[in-house]
Amino acid sequence: MSTVTKTISNGARASLRGTRWVTVLIGAFGFFAAWILLNLIIGGQCRDKCVVDTLAQTLRVATPIAFAAFCGVMCERAGVVDIGIEGKMLTAAMVAYAVNLFSFQIFKNSMDVATAGSISRSLALVAAVASSVLMQLLHAVVSIKFKADQIISGTVINIMALGVTGYLYRQFLAQNLPAGPGTFPILQIPLLSQIPIIGPILFQQQPLTYIMLILAFLIHYMLFYTPWGLRTRAVGEHPRAADTLGINVFRTRYINVLLGGVIAGLGGAWFTLEAVDVFNPQMTNGLGFIGLAAMIFGKWTPFGALIGAMIFGLGNSITTTVSIYRPDIPSQLPQMLPYLLTIIVLTGAVGRATPPAADGTAYEKQ
Amino acid sequence: MRKMFSLSVVLLVLVATVLSACGGAASTKLKIGLVTDVGGVNDKSFNQSAWTGVQKAATEFGYDTKYIESKQPTDYEKNIDQFATEKYDVIITVGFMMGDATAAKAKQYPAIKFAIIDSSYFPTKDSVACPDTVKDCYADGGLKNVTSLMFQEDEVGFLAGVLAGGMTKTGTVCTVSGVEIPPVVRYVVGYQNGAKWMKADVKTLNVYIPSFVDPAKGKETGQSMIGQGCDVVFGVGGNTGNGGLLAAKEKSLMAIGVDVDQYNTYAEVKDALITSAQKNVDVAVYEYLKAVKGGASKAGMITANIKNGGVGLAPYHDWDSKIPDAVKAKVKEATDALKAGSLATGYKP
Repeated sequence: MSTVTKTISNGARASLRGTRWVTVLIGAFGFFAAWILLNLIIGGQCRDKCVVDTLAQTLRVATPIAFAAFCGVMCERAGVVDIGIEGKMLTAAMVAYAVNLFSFQIFKNSMDVATAGSISRSLALVAAVASSVLMQLLHAVVSIKFKADQIISGTVINIMALGVTGYLYRQFLAQNLPAGPGTFPILQIPLLSQIPIIGPILFQQQPLTYIMLILAFLIHYMLFYTPWGLRTRAVGEHPRAADTLGINVFRTRYINVLLGGVIAGLGGAWFTLEAVDVFNPQMTNGLGFIGLAAMIFGKWTPFGALIGAMIFGLGNSITTTVSIYRPDIPSQLPQMLPYLLTIIVLTGAVGRATPPAADGTAYEKQ
Repeated sequence: MRKMFSLSVVLLVLVATVLSACGGAASTKLKIGLVTDVGGVNDKSFNQSAWTGVQKAATEFGYDTKYIESKQPTDYEKNIDQFATEKYDVIITVGFMMGDATAAKAKQYPAIKFAIIDSSYFPTKDSVACPDTVKDCYADGGLKNVTSLMFQEDEVGFLAGVLAGGMTKTGTVCTVSGVEIPPVVRYVVGYQNGAKWMKADVKTLNVYIPSFVDPAKGKETGQSMIGQGCDVVFGVGGNTGNGGLLAAKEKSLMAIGVDVDQYNTYAEVKDALITSAQKNVDVAVYEYLKAVKGGASKAGMITANIKNGGVGLAPYHDWDSKIPDAVKAKVKEATDALKAGSLATGYKP
């Protein structure tokens, strides 16, 4: 009996250890190569400040993608495919916007504007997470309890989110609404933010970006160093074996999928609480799907997924930098860069990515 | 017997009401349909403005009106078809992106009048006015039922640039632009040349973003350009441009809105807005529908410019006291010169 668990954990660990450093190295190399390329294109005009700005922007752009990827990691490690991340993020973005705006109108009469703003933003964050978890509950019940096809269930969530947010936006949010409290302010971490170069990149960001970075460590620790993580991975690799050892497969999957919903909710809130203070239909722009690509790039590990998200973010910020310095290059060329970079990295650099063995299959208890 | 009688009276009255209602709607009222671009009818920008113009004309002249929103570019032809099958008399399509769909459908339904905003056709595609050498621009191209409502965005962009050039402290001004299509390019080129006309050594930055509905990317781009020293951000591109305005507001810099007076439509950034480069789509649509009423609508181009008041800068609002008189005078000077035709914006189609 215990040999089964041992094999699972050893197998998972070994494959992980072997590839983790390769992934990190390739990621670092990719950054470096992109950097050289960039400076060649713009003729070395990008000096210290521009480098720091570009990298800080990379981290900001990577944040929602990383959240999406973490949601994917949580679900798929337990054997549930979740392609409904995009839909959950879109819903959470709209809920966050609406709650932020309307609760601010109520609070601002009874207290000063700054406090009212931070209270309504926190409320909005909670509401966004709740809405995402609610949608995820649907996905969980349909795909775990009723054993329906997980791809279909995820697609339904995406389409439903598009329709529901579009309708609600048209009905209630598309008028001339009063001004909201704005986005989360930049949180300067004392002392650390004063470090040259690293400070402005890592420690002068908005709260959700910090949460994303902390989550990467947290998920890594939970997945690979706690009993809960071992159970999760066992359920994702071989649910029958896990079940015979007394692990409750259904409960493990429910918990993981719902936690994924929490993370997707944070990702959605990024759009309307951290990036901009407006909502418009389809504003997630497919970043949920790019998050899934980042997850596959990272071989279903949180750090790998983060690097994947960063590569796409870097592509994005380089696009901007190139467009600024080289207005003579047709604008469509740099715009292809993030996608091109993603494809090259995904196909050329990563090698074979093997999903958890039981990924996407419903578990039938015998 | 009495019961039967009263029942038949009730029935008669009912039938009469229904008949008269039907007859009234079908015979007299002109039916106007508006097809929006993907921004939708509440985009706080030019789709919304077009719909406002339609509604104003409807209340004044008693038209029947309806709009359909396009969710993606593949909807354009479908939506026009829908109005055509419902026997609409006039179909207004909003935006450059709908140019090809409108031309194709105008040929298919020659009895319906079409008006399109921001897009022009043979033999002067992408220009803002029909040249004197061509006798009848559209009839020659087989588009006898199409009217293009064009705007000289380069002129109002130029004025915005003059103001920006006068207000910048860093000597760098920038534009966060949407998709690279002629109306957007006209704004951008006008703005850059206006800033240089005001201050010859001013540096101009611009980035085109391939979307009109991506404010997050617009803000990132705005922040990048602010990082390069830009302190007056002109957002040219619907919601994407709005992201640029927000970036300027968060850094307490200056911003310039687009298409409508964004001081009224985008309250979050009003502290930063020194003005907006307006194009009065509602007025153009209204004037067109007025011409339809009088039977005077013609195929070809109607061009709105500084001279006829179809485009212009919005009020300075909160910044009125902070803008030096010298700068205001230069804006006035440029306005007059553009009106008189003695100043060119430098935009070439």
